[in-house]
Amino acid sequence: MSRMLARLARGAYVPVFPIVGSGGRSAAQDLRLSGRLRIHDSPRPAQVLLIVGRLPYPLLRPALRVHDQISHPRLTVCWHQNGSNDHVSVRLFPTAVDVGPGEDVVDAICEHHADLLSGARASEAPIQPDVPASPWRGVGPYGQGGKGMAGGRPYGRPLPERAPARDGLELDELTLQIGPFFPALPPGLMVDLRVQGDVIQEARVRENPFAGGGGGAFARALMEPVSLAELENLRARHHLRWLARALRLQGLDALASRALRLAVAAEPAQLTRVRRLVRWLERSRTVSLALRGVCHLPASSLDAHAGPVSRASGIGSDARSDDPEYRSLGFEPIVQSEGDAWARWQQRMREAVQALELADRAGNRTVGPREQVEGPRGALTTHGAEASGPLLRGLSDWLPGLDWGDAMAAIVSLDLDLEEMASSPNDGAAAEGYTG
Amino acid sequence: MNGPASLWSAVVSVPLAIGTGVYAVAVLDRTLAAWVEGRPWSMSDALLGPLRSAALRYLQARSSTERPDREAWALAPALLGALAAVALASIPLGAWFAVADIPEGIVLFGAAMAMVMVAVFLHGWSPNSALPLIGGYRFIALALSYEMPLALVLIAAALPAESLSVGAIIQSQAEMWNVVRQPLGLPIYLVPALGLAFWGPLAFPDAVDLAGGTAAEVSGAGRLVWSIARAAVLFAVAAMGAAVFLGGWLGPVLPGPVWMAVKTVALLVVLLAAGHLIGRVRLERFVVLAWAILIPLALVDVFVSGTLALLTR
Repeated sequence: MSRMLARLARGAYVPVFPIVGSGGRSAAQDLRLSGRLRIHDSPRPAQVLLIVGRLPYPLLRPALRVHDQISHPRLTVCWHQNGSNDHVSVRLFPTAVDVGPGEDVVDAICEHHADLLSGARASEAPIQPDVPASPWRGVGPYGQGGKGMAGGRPYGRPLPERAPARDGLELDELTLQIGPFFPALPPGLMVDLRVQGDVIQEARVRENPFAGGGGGAFARALMEPVSLAELENLRARHHLRWLARALRLQGLDALASRALRLAVAAEPAQLTRVRRLVRWLERSRTVSLALRGVCHLPASSLDAHAGPVSRASGIGSDARSDDPEYRSLGFEPIVQSEGDAWARWQQRMREAVQALELADRAGNRTVGPREQVEGPRGALTTHGAEASGPLLRGLSDWLPGLDWGDAMAAIVSLDLDLEEMASSPNDGAAAEGYTG
Repeated sequence: MNGPASLWSAVVSVPLAIGTGVYAVAVLDRTLAAWVEGRPWSMSDALLGPLRSAALRYLQARSSTERPDREAWALAPALLGALAAVALASIPLGAWFAVADIPEGIVLFGAAMAMVMVAVFLHGWSPNSALPLIGGYRFIALALSYEMPLALVLIAAALPAESLSVGAIIQSQAEMWNVVRQPLGLPIYLVPALGLAFWGPLAFPDAVDLAGGTAAEVSGAGRLVWSIARAAVLFAVAAMGAAVFLGGWLGPVLPGPVWMAVKTVALLVVLLAAGHLIGRVRLERFVVLAWAILIPLALVDVFVSGTLALLTR
């Protein structure tokens, strides 16, 4: 019976939980289009821990914790898709399967997962000891130390305390940390939250774990001439990838996959299909109703160079406006005034369409070298993406008062990338207190 | 049916109906996902995929958390499945075939759906983990917003039949289906129906933004049973919608159970398509929508239906 079930199970989608290190975000996202893997939002239902790219030092211990939460039978795959040889991950996960840049990671995962099901490969043992992370501290049998069952810090985690909620009632307050691999957040982002029911009362952003990164064609345009069509195709791909992530968070998996398919090969030939998707999302109101009024950011609270986020709040700043090549194409920045999460959605969707239109008309024009280039998240200079850091720090002010779903939608609408931020000398460290 | 025959029909037909219904939900969901995504439909993926996934889950080990309430954690999926079974048992599949077409059928159905709140909160609370707990809180906050409009439109549907029996409500639609006679009923019913199965835009307790919510810490057979129970609830609410608003087994030429199946599948397609095309709804806005629009409209439905029932008596 179990042999028959194992044979049947071998044809199922392989349940994978990816954790993303340096340079791995797009590659990990593309795996959602594989017809053989199922990417899960939690490590529990997964059987394969996939490490994409090189993990910076502060993410190693959280990665070990995630490993031990993957269900048996389980295996770890380290995918060095960009050629980064991550010796540390290999040492930490000694039985992991290594997949290099030229190899097909989906084939490797499926093959080793089949071995796992047939018993040819042993399930990986826990790496960390199964003991509490901190000593027991409290009075009662479950570590409670305050009034009744409340208060105290059993095994290092505070039990809920009661506090007045916004409607005057007294409600339990939960304290928790999310990240660095929470799928609704950008990779590496860690936030300490105090919540009452579903409502965020306090948010504290931890230090950026990445030490540097970014680059790509937009950074190259600071140093050398780059094809304008290539830049705009990349901008469209970036915004469509973001759209796919944002749609997933709205619970629209199939539409997210449709957007991701467009993103992977976005070029002017796809313009009609991209326009159709954007028009449908704007007109159908299936998404806008949940996003209008969420996390309204007035122009006065934003840096002028935060790209689509600034332009969605009425700031018309765009480095392309001053570029003669873009002016010759009749470029006008798209600017809105609402400044809420839905305005940021619309901004990126419209800029994706605009980018493909520009790429279509660009011919053999080139951009660069320039002192400032407009990247998909805002202005890039030789000092990095300086406008992104304030967005990350702003979370501590913008999240309190939002309910959980709105808070996650607000974070996604800002399109944060901690690796890119780390490339800016001013924004490498966003907040205090990370202890690894 | 009464006595041993009734017991046997319950033992055989309810699990059979749940199995068929859950499989239909899985196949239809995969088919609709392929259509919305714009990728070619694969027969192997749609028909065998659910069985393969079930086998994989069955073979996977059950995970545990630190100091969970193990008994409650195991009980929650079973309770949800049992509630779906009770709800299904109250729906007659044909004029001559009903497991428990009791005189208070829609009351039994409503009671089973009200208890879904207990199963969902138990599933969120018992793993002793923050995200599942928040998922549980969400359902508690919304449960009354689902139950009130659901109960009101079911009462309105019962008025022309002058009976709370689901069979009698179906027979009262011989001349005109309730979807025509009470045009507000079905659209209002479908909203709490989606919410009680926490599916698509109303998947509040198990939402993506909570990494799966009440199911975030579950793997293996526990996850399999939870998924089956959730799909069974969706199937049960679709079947009740078909019975109460679309005339149940009534229809020409084809046998009654076939009509019942066709109408249930039609409602399932609507509910599942909503899951792929309508995004997450904001929790606060939904509560406002339920209390400021759905419940008043459901009351109008009750008053208009009652008046018409009195006038046509």
